[in-house]
Amino acid sequence: MTKKIFFAIILSALLYYSCENTPYVQGQFLYENKCANCHQSNGEGLGNLVPSLRSDKPADISSWVCIITGGKKDTIASDNSFLVREMPAFKNLSPTELANIINYVNHSFRPEFKETTIKEIQTYVAECVNNQ
Amino acid sequence: MDLKYHEMKLWFFLGISGIMLIYGCKNSSDDKLPYLGHKTMVDGQPVYHKIRPYRYLNQDSIWISDDTLKNYVYVADFFFTSCPSICPKVMKEMTRIYEAFKDEPRVKLLSFTIDPVRDNVPRLKLYADNLGINHDKWYFLTGEKEFTFELANDFFVVALEDPEAPGGFDHSGKIILVDREGHVRSFSEGTDASQTPRLIEDIKKLLRESFAND
Repeated sequence: MTKKIFFAIILSALLYYSCENTPYVQGQFLYENKCANCHQSNGEGLGNLVPSLRSDKPADISSWVCIITGGKKDTIASDNSFLVREMPAFKNLSPTELANIINYVNHSFRPEFKETTIKEIQTYVAECVNNQ
Repeated sequence: MDLKYHEMKLWFFLGISGIMLIYGCKNSSDDKLPYLGHKTMVDGQPVYHKIRPYRYLNQDSIWISDDTLKNYVYVADFFFTSCPSICPKVMKEMTRIYEAFKDEPRVKLLSFTIDPVRDNVPRLKLYADNLGINHDKWYFLTGEKEFTFELANDFFVVALEDPEAPGGFDHSGKIILVDREGHVRSFSEGTDASQTPRLIEDIKKLLRESFAND
């Protein structure tokens, strides 16, 4: 009897996970809470005001890591005005969280997806100029 | 025999309630949109809540007033260009509405800045250009700050200066639907994308109602 219940639980857990669209559940959670406000839930961004994360090209992961952890600021200017586009720095994300966010974004928005490992992320974090 | 009679009775009632349900739902979807806000009675006639008269400069330095908009139904939101919090999300929903009514000349979109000191006409123009929208369809409006806070109240939107809030202003992300007479007829929470399709349907409903006699 207990064996049957055990298998039923395992089976429903498997079913539940296979129905999830993304294998990066933590990444999705973090993306929705920290990134989707500007980049939007579907990664489209907002015109030229917020860059889109969707692309056919593979992402430059090392620069992504630096931008997420160090932030980014630039200006769009016309003859008589300017707008500041600013992405805040998310300094407190661990390499695991960074890997999950980046893998979630790539998996969801880029067909050329290739999984990034936590080890790679650690290397990129160490290489970032704007963190020093 | 007795069982069969009960069964028939049951099916009969189920059928009746089904028809009533369908009919009831159909009726309510044909109904006019409600008038939102406080209603008063003057000489036995209802007087509905109305947006006060206003006049603002848009991104092309053209005066836009309630009078300009009397032949249009419009949706409005309050924002500021340097807003780091909910604005991009609400703007995205505004662009969805914009896309849905791109070819419908009787619908306009209004975005009032609550930070007019920084958001002057050139900056609003730059913002609109970079959003990539038609300037004749979607107005980005700048005017006097205190008046805008009060006007926001008429739209049932909270807008105020708050040094503690991200970007220095606190405001709610509602998108408000207004009819040709300046009455508020529907709204959605711009931070909740799932509400936008309903608001789009409400705009269609209001169009049918507002231009029925034209």
